[in-house]
Amino acid sequence: MKCKKCGGKAVINMRQHNMGLCKDDFLQWLPEQTQKHIEKQKMFTFDEKILVAVSGGKDSLALWDMLNILGYQADGLYIALGIDEGISYSSESQRLTEEFASARDLNLHVVNMTSDYGIDLPTLAKETKRGRDKPCSSCGLVKRHEMNRIARDFGYDVLATGHNLDDEAATLFSNTLQWNGDYLIRQHPVLAERDGLARKVKPLFRFYEREMAAYTLLRGIEYIYEECPFAEGSTSTQYKELLNQLEHEHPGAKIHFFTKFLSAKKKGLFAEPTTEIVPELHICPSCGQPTSALKLCTFCRMMEKSSS
Amino acid sequence: MKKTSTIILRDKKYEVKAGSTLRVALRRLEILPESVICVRDGELITEDNILQEGETIKLVSVISGG
Repeated sequence: MKCKKCGGKAVINMRQHNMGLCKDDFLQWLPEQTQKHIEKQKMFTFDEKILVAVSGGKDSLALWDMLNILGYQADGLYIALGIDEGISYSSESQRLTEEFASARDLNLHVVNMTSDYGIDLPTLAKETKRGRDKPCSSCGLVKRHEMNRIARDFGYDVLATGHNLDDEAATLFSNTLQWNGDYLIRQHPVLAERDGLARKVKPLFRFYEREMAAYTLLRGIEYIYEECPFAEGSTSTQYKELLNQLEHEHPGAKIHFFTKFLSAKKKGLFAEPTTEIVPELHICPSCGQPTSALKLCTFCRMMEKSSS
Repeated sequence: MKKTSTIILRDKKYEVKAGSTLRVALRRLEILPESVICVRDGELITEDNILQEGETIKLVSVISGG
Protein backbone atom coordinates (compact mmCIF):
# COMPACT_ATOMS: atom_id res chain seq x y z
CA MET A 1 0.00 0.00 0.00
CA LYS A 2 1.23 3.49 -0.85
CA CYS A 3 1.25 6.59 1.30
CA LYS A 4 -1.53 8.93 0.16
CA LYS A 5 0.69 11.96 0.69
CA CYS A 6 4.10 11.02 -0.71
CA GLY A 7 3.59 7.72 -2.55
CA GLY A 8 6.12 5.93 -0.31
CA LYS A 9 5.45 2.69 1.53
CA ALA A 10 2.49 3.00 3.93
CA VAL A 11 2.87 1.70 7.47
CA ILE A 12 -0.79 2.14 8.42
CA ASN A 13 -4.05 1.82 6.54
CA MET A 14 -6.89 3.94 7.94
CA ARG A 15 -9.85 2.52 6.07
CA GLN A 16 -12.30 4.98 7.65
CA HIS A 17 -10.40 7.79 5.90
CA ASN A 18 -9.59 5.70 2.82
CA MET A 19 -5.98 6.64 3.49
CA GLY A 20 -2.67 4.89 4.05
CA LEU A 21 0.32 6.86 5.36
CA CYS A 22 4.06 6.28 5.64
CA LYS A 23 5.85 6.68 8.98
CA ASP A 24 6.91 10.31 8.49
CA ASP A 25 3.55 11.48 7.15
CA PHE A 26 1.60 9.62 9.84
CA LEU A 27 3.79 11.16 12.59
CA GLN A 28 3.09 14.57 11.10
CA TRP A 29 -0.61 13.98 10.41
CA LEU A 30 -1.62 12.80 13.90
CA PRO A 31 -0.36 15.85 15.88
CA GLU A 32 -1.72 18.17 13.14
CA GLN A 33 -5.15 16.59 13.43
CA THR A 34 -4.94 16.75 17.23
CA GLN A 35 -4.18 20.47 17.03
CA LYS A 36 -7.10 20.94 14.62
CA HIS A 37 -9.55 19.27 17.02
CA ILE A 38 -8.16 21.13 20.05
CA GLU A 39 -8.90 24.39 18.22
CA LYS A 40 -12.22 23.34 16.72
CA GLN A 41 -13.58 22.16 20.07
CA LYS A 42 -11.98 25.13 21.92
CA MET A 43 -10.32 22.74 24.36
CA PHE A 44 -7.46 25.00 25.50
CA THR A 45 -4.96 27.58 24.32
CA PHE A 46 -1.16 27.83 24.44
CA ASP A 47 -1.47 30.22 27.41
CA GLU A 48 -3.27 27.72 29.58
CA LYS A 49 -1.77 25.18 31.98
CA ILE A 50 -2.77 21.60 31.17
CA LEU A 51 -2.70 18.60 33.49
CA VAL A 52 -2.54 15.32 31.56
CA ALA A 53 -3.79 12.23 33.39
CA VAL A 54 -1.14 9.63 32.54
CA SER A 55 -1.58 5.92 33.24
CA GLY A 56 1.53 4.55 31.54
CA GLY A 57 -0.67 3.21 28.74
CA LYS A 58 -0.32 4.05 25.05
CA ASP A 59 -3.04 6.69 24.78
CA SER A 60 -2.12 8.96 27.68
CA LEU A 61 1.62 8.80 26.93
CA ALA A 62 0.94 9.54 23.25
CA LEU A 63 -1.26 12.47 24.24
CA TRP A 64 1.38 13.90 26.55
CA ASP A 65 4.01 13.42 23.85
CA MET A 66 1.92 15.24 21.23
CA LEU A 67 1.00 18.14 23.51
CA ASN A 68 4.69 18.53 24.24
CA ILE A 69 5.54 18.46 20.51
CA LEU A 70 2.80 20.98 19.77
CA GLY A 71 4.27 23.36 22.35
CA TYR A 72 1.62 23.26 25.08
CA GLN A 73 2.37 23.69 28.80
CA ALA A 74 1.41 20.16 29.79
CA ASP A 75 2.35 18.50 33.07
CA GLY A 76 1.49 14.91 33.95
CA LEU A 77 -0.36 13.25 36.80
CA TYR A 78 0.18 9.60 37.65
CA ILE A 79 -2.00 7.90 40.28
CA ALA A 80 -0.28 4.88 41.85
CA LEU A 81 -3.16 2.57 42.73
CA GLY A 82 -1.11 -0.34 44.07
CA ILE A 83 -2.45 -2.94 41.64
CA ASP A 84 0.55 -5.22 41.88
CA GLU A 85 -0.83 -8.67 42.45
CA GLY A 86 0.91 -11.04 40.08
CA ILE A 87 2.19 -8.81 37.28
CA SER A 88 3.35 -5.61 39.07
CA TYR A 89 0.92 -3.64 36.94
CA SER A 90 1.04 -0.37 38.88
CA SER A 91 4.75 -0.34 39.66
CA GLU A 92 5.63 -1.09 36.03
CA SER A 93 3.27 1.56 34.63
CA GLN A 94 4.68 4.09 37.14
CA ARG A 95 8.23 3.23 36.09
CA LEU A 96 7.37 3.73 32.41
CA THR A 97 5.60 7.02 33.10
CA GLU A 98 8.49 8.36 35.20
CA GLU A 99 11.02 7.34 32.57
CA PHE A 100 8.94 9.02 29.86
CA ALA A 101 8.76 12.26 31.87
CA SER A 102 12.41 12.20 32.85
CA ALA A 103 13.62 11.58 29.26
CA ARG A 104 11.70 14.68 28.09
CA ASP A 105 12.28 16.79 31.19
CA LEU A 106 8.53 17.01 31.85
CA ASN A 107 6.92 17.74 35.20
CA LEU A 108 5.07 14.78 36.71
CA HIS A 109 2.85 14.74 39.82
CA VAL A 110 2.52 11.36 41.51
CA VAL A 111 -0.32 10.50 43.89
CA ASN A 112 0.29 7.30 45.82
CA MET A 113 -2.83 5.73 47.31
CA THR A 114 -0.92 3.70 49.88
CA SER A 115 1.29 6.50 51.20
CA ASP A 116 -1.23 9.34 50.75
CA TYR A 117 -4.38 7.53 51.93
CA GLY A 118 -3.04 4.45 53.71
CA ILE A 119 -4.84 1.98 51.44
CA ASP A 120 -4.30 0.59 47.96
CA LEU A 121 -7.06 0.23 45.38
CA PRO A 122 -7.49 -3.58 45.56
CA THR A 123 -7.92 -3.40 49.36
CA LEU A 124 -10.21 -0.39 49.11
CA ALA A 125 -12.36 -2.22 46.56
CA LYS A 126 -12.61 -5.31 48.74
CA GLU A 127 -13.58 -3.32 51.81
CA THR A 128 -16.34 -1.24 50.26
CA LYS A 129 -19.70 -2.20 48.82
CA ARG A 130 -19.08 -0.09 45.71
CA GLY A 131 -15.93 -1.95 44.72
CA ARG A 132 -16.50 -5.46 46.05
CA ASP A 133 -17.78 -6.88 42.77
CA LYS A 134 -16.46 -4.18 40.49
CA PRO A 135 -13.13 -2.60 41.47
CA CYS A 136 -13.21 -0.50 38.25
CA SER A 137 -16.01 1.53 39.83
CA SER A 138 -13.85 2.41 42.88
CA CYS A 139 -10.89 3.03 40.58
CA GLY A 140 -12.86 5.50 38.45
CA LEU A 141 -14.06 7.33 41.53
CA VAL A 142 -10.54 7.59 42.99
CA LYS A 143 -9.12 8.82 39.68
CA ARG A 144 -11.83 11.48 39.15
CA HIS A 145 -11.40 12.75 42.71
CA GLU A 146 -7.61 12.89 42.60
CA MET A 147 -7.42 14.39 39.11
CA ASN A 148 -9.72 17.21 40.13
CA ARG A 149 -7.87 17.73 43.43
CA ILE A 150 -4.45 18.06 41.79
CA ALA A 151 -5.84 20.28 39.01
CA ARG A 152 -7.41 22.58 41.61
CA ASP A 153 -4.54 22.57 44.16
CA PHE A 154 -1.88 23.33 41.54
CA GLY A 155 -3.90 25.85 39.52
CA TYR A 156 -4.29 23.97 36.23
CA ASP A 157 -6.77 25.42 33.76
CA VAL A 158 -7.74 22.13 32.21
CA LEU A 159 -7.52 18.40 32.74
CA ALA A 160 -6.77 16.28 29.65
CA THR A 161 -7.31 12.54 29.38
CA GLY A 162 -6.22 10.09 26.68
CA HIS A 163 -9.66 8.70 25.79
CA ASN A 164 -9.67 7.69 22.14
CA LEU A 165 -12.56 7.16 19.74
CA ASP A 166 -12.88 3.46 20.61
CA ASP A 167 -13.26 4.40 24.29
CA GLU A 168 -15.91 6.99 23.43
CA ALA A 169 -17.77 4.71 21.01
CA ALA A 170 -17.80 1.86 23.56
CA THR A 171 -19.11 4.20 26.26
CA LEU A 172 -21.77 5.55 23.91
CA PHE A 173 -22.74 2.00 22.94
CA SER A 174 -23.08 1.01 26.59
CA ASN A 175 -25.08 4.10 27.52
CA THR A 176 -27.34 3.68 24.50
CA LEU A 177 -28.00 0.00 25.23
CA GLN A 178 -29.22 1.09 28.65
CA TRP A 179 -30.72 4.40 27.48
CA ASN A 180 -28.71 6.03 30.20
CA GLY A 181 -29.91 9.56 29.54
CA ASP A 182 -27.96 11.37 32.23
CA TYR A 183 -24.68 9.87 31.00
CA LEU A 184 -25.54 10.44 27.34
CA ILE A 185 -26.20 14.10 27.97
CA ARG A 186 -22.80 14.54 29.63
CA GLN A 187 -20.72 12.60 27.09
CA HIS A 188 -18.67 15.12 25.15
CA PRO A 189 -14.98 15.72 24.33
CA VAL A 190 -15.14 18.98 26.30
CA LEU A 191 -16.82 19.41 29.67
CA ALA A 192 -16.78 23.01 30.82
CA GLU A 193 -15.43 24.05 34.21
CA ARG A 194 -18.22 24.15 36.75
CA ASP A 195 -18.47 24.94 40.47
CA GLY A 196 -15.00 23.72 41.41
CA LEU A 197 -14.84 20.96 38.81
CA ALA A 198 -11.96 21.50 36.39
CA ARG A 199 -12.60 21.68 32.65
CA LYS A 200 -12.10 18.21 31.18
CA VAL A 201 -11.03 17.53 27.60
CA LYS A 202 -10.32 14.49 25.43
CA PRO A 203 -8.05 15.62 22.58
CA LEU A 204 -7.77 12.09 21.09
CA PHE A 205 -11.53 11.60 20.71
CA ARG A 206 -11.31 11.37 16.91
CA PHE A 207 -8.55 8.74 16.72
CA TYR A 208 -8.95 4.99 16.66
CA GLU A 209 -7.18 3.02 19.36
CA ARG A 210 -5.18 1.36 16.58
CA GLU A 211 -3.78 4.71 15.46
CA MET A 212 -2.67 5.52 18.98
CA ALA A 213 -0.89 2.16 19.28
CA ALA A 214 0.80 2.82 15.92
CA TYR A 215 1.85 6.31 17.05
CA THR A 216 3.50 5.09 20.28
CA LEU A 217 5.28 2.31 18.41
CA LEU A 218 6.52 4.62 15.66
CA ARG A 219 7.65 7.21 18.21
CA GLY A 220 9.47 4.54 20.21
CA ILE A 221 7.41 5.23 23.34
CA GLU A 222 7.48 2.32 25.76
CA TYR A 223 4.09 1.76 27.39
CA ILE A 224 2.44 -0.83 29.61
CA TYR A 225 1.20 -3.46 27.20
CA GLU A 226 -0.35 -5.75 29.78
CA GLU A 227 -3.99 -5.22 30.59
CA CYS A 228 -4.99 -4.10 34.08
CA PRO A 229 -5.87 -7.44 35.79
CA PHE A 230 -9.21 -5.97 36.87
CA ALA A 231 -10.13 -4.92 33.32
CA GLU A 232 -9.68 -8.37 31.74
CA GLY A 233 -12.92 -9.47 30.14
CA SER A 234 -14.57 -6.15 30.99
CA THR A 235 -17.79 -5.11 29.30
CA SER A 236 -16.06 -2.16 27.63
CA THR A 237 -13.57 -4.56 26.02
CA GLN A 238 -16.44 -6.72 24.75
CA TYR A 239 -18.15 -3.66 23.29
CA LYS A 240 -14.92 -2.59 21.59
CA GLU A 241 -14.61 -6.02 20.00
CA LEU A 242 -18.21 -5.87 18.79
CA LEU A 243 -17.68 -2.42 17.33
CA ASN A 244 -14.50 -3.61 15.60
CA GLN A 245 -16.47 -6.39 13.92
CA LEU A 246 -18.87 -3.76 12.66
CA GLU A 247 -15.97 -1.56 11.58
CA HIS A 248 -14.43 -4.45 9.68
CA GLU A 249 -17.59 -4.84 7.58
CA HIS A 250 -18.34 -1.12 7.38
CA PRO A 251 -15.20 1.04 7.58
CA GLY A 252 -16.02 4.28 9.39
CA ALA A 253 -18.84 2.77 11.46
CA LYS A 254 -17.19 3.69 14.78
CA ILE A 255 -16.31 7.25 13.90
CA HIS A 256 -19.77 7.87 12.41
CA PHE A 257 -21.46 6.38 15.45
CA PHE A 258 -19.73 8.82 17.77
CA THR A 259 -19.41 11.96 15.66
CA LYS A 260 -23.01 11.76 14.45
CA PHE A 261 -24.08 11.44 18.07
CA LEU A 262 -22.22 14.69 18.80
CA SER A 263 -23.86 16.36 15.80
CA ALA A 264 -27.31 15.16 16.83
CA LYS A 265 -26.73 16.51 20.33
CA LYS A 266 -25.70 19.85 18.89
CA LYS A 267 -28.90 19.93 16.84
CA GLY A 268 -30.97 19.38 19.97
CA LEU A 269 -31.44 15.62 20.26
CA PHE A 270 -31.54 16.11 24.00
CA ALA A 271 -33.51 18.68 25.94
CA GLU A 272 -31.65 21.07 28.23
CA PRO A 273 -30.57 19.11 31.31
CA THR A 274 -32.75 19.55 34.35
CA THR A 275 -31.31 19.74 37.87
CA GLU A 276 -32.48 16.15 38.28
CA ILE A 277 -29.96 15.12 35.63
CA VAL A 278 -27.23 17.64 36.39
CA PRO A 279 -27.67 18.26 40.10
CA GLU A 280 -26.55 21.29 42.04
CA LEU A 281 -23.11 20.96 43.57
CA HIS A 282 -22.13 21.50 47.19
CA ILE A 283 -18.77 21.51 48.92
CA CYS A 284 -17.69 18.33 50.70
CA PRO A 285 -16.92 19.29 54.33
CA SER A 286 -14.03 16.82 54.44
CA CYS A 287 -12.02 17.33 51.22
CA GLY A 288 -13.49 20.63 49.98
CA GLN A 289 -14.27 19.24 46.53
CA PRO A 290 -17.62 19.75 44.79
CA THR A 291 -20.22 17.02 45.21
CA SER A 292 -23.89 16.49 44.46
CA ALA A 293 -24.28 14.98 47.95
CA LEU A 294 -25.42 17.24 50.76
CA LYS A 295 -22.78 15.91 53.19
CA LEU A 296 -19.59 13.96 52.45
CA CYS A 297 -18.69 13.35 48.81
CA THR A 298 -18.71 9.78 47.46
CA PHE A 299 -14.90 9.54 47.66
CA CYS A 300 -14.78 10.60 51.32
CA ARG A 301 -17.69 8.29 52.18
CA MET A 302 -15.86 5.41 50.54
CA MET A 303 -12.62 6.19 52.43
CA GLU A 304 -14.55 6.52 55.70
CA LYS A 305 -16.22 3.13 55.20
CA SER A 306 -12.92 1.46 54.39
CA SER A 307 -11.33 2.71 57.61
CA SER A 308 -14.27 1.76 59.83
CA MET B 1 7.88 -29.28 2.43
CA LYS B 2 5.21 -26.66 3.15
CA LYS B 3 6.43 -23.05 3.13
CA THR B 4 5.29 -21.20 6.22
CA SER B 5 5.54 -17.92 8.12
CA THR B 6 4.97 -17.36 11.83
CA ILE B 7 2.47 -14.97 13.38
CA ILE B 8 2.72 -14.14 17.08
CA LEU B 9 -0.06 -12.56 19.13
CA ARG B 10 0.63 -12.18 22.87
CA ASP B 11 1.71 -15.67 24.00
CA LYS B 12 0.26 -17.50 20.98
CA LYS B 13 2.23 -18.57 17.95
CA TYR B 14 0.62 -19.53 14.65
CA GLU B 15 2.20 -21.19 11.61
CA VAL B 16 0.56 -19.89 8.43
CA LYS B 17 1.07 -20.50 4.75
CA ALA B 18 3.64 -18.17 3.18
CA GLY B 19 2.90 -16.50 -0.13
CA SER B 20 -0.51 -15.05 0.71
CA THR B 21 -1.20 -11.62 2.13
CA LEU B 22 -1.23 -10.86 5.82
CA ARG B 23 -4.90 -9.94 5.43
CA VAL B 24 -5.74 -13.44 4.25
CA ALA B 25 -3.71 -14.99 7.08
CA LEU B 26 -5.51 -12.86 9.67
CA ARG B 27 -8.88 -13.85 8.22
CA ARG B 28 -7.95 -17.54 8.47
CA LEU B 29 -6.88 -17.05 12.08
CA GLU B 30 -10.12 -15.10 12.75
CA ILE B 31 -8.18 -12.06 13.94
CA LEU B 32 -9.71 -8.71 13.06
CA PRO B 33 -7.16 -6.34 11.46
CA GLU B 34 -8.96 -3.56 13.35
CA SER B 35 -7.82 -5.01 16.68
CA VAL B 36 -4.08 -5.32 15.94
CA ILE B 37 -1.12 -3.62 14.33
CA CYS B 38 1.38 -5.74 12.45
CA VAL B 39 5.11 -5.54 12.97
CA ARG B 40 7.87 -7.13 10.87
CA ASP B 41 11.47 -6.74 12.05
CA GLY B 42 10.43 -3.82 14.25
CA GLU B 43 8.67 -2.01 11.37
CA LEU B 44 4.93 -1.48 11.02
CA ILE B 45 3.42 -3.04 7.91
CA THR B 46 -0.02 -2.95 6.29
CA GLU B 47 -2.14 -6.05 5.74
CA ASP B 48 -1.56 -6.16 1.98
CA ASN B 49 2.05 -7.31 2.54
CA ILE B 50 2.80 -10.81 1.29
CA LEU B 51 4.09 -13.23 3.87
CA GLN B 52 7.56 -14.48 3.07
CA GLU B 53 8.76 -17.96 3.90
CA GLY B 54 10.37 -18.25 7.33
CA GLU B 55 9.57 -14.71 8.48
CA THR B 56 7.85 -13.79 11.75
CA ILE B 57 5.13 -11.16 12.09
CA LYS B 58 4.36 -9.85 15.53
CA LEU B 59 0.81 -8.62 16.15
CA VAL B 60 0.33 -5.91 18.75
CA SER B 61 -3.12 -5.99 20.32
CA VAL B 62 -4.53 -2.47 20.46
CA ILE B 63 -7.62 -2.93 22.62
CA SER B 64 -7.37 -1.83 26.23
CA GLY B 65 -10.29 -2.13 28.59
CA GLY B 66 -11.35 -0.66 31.90
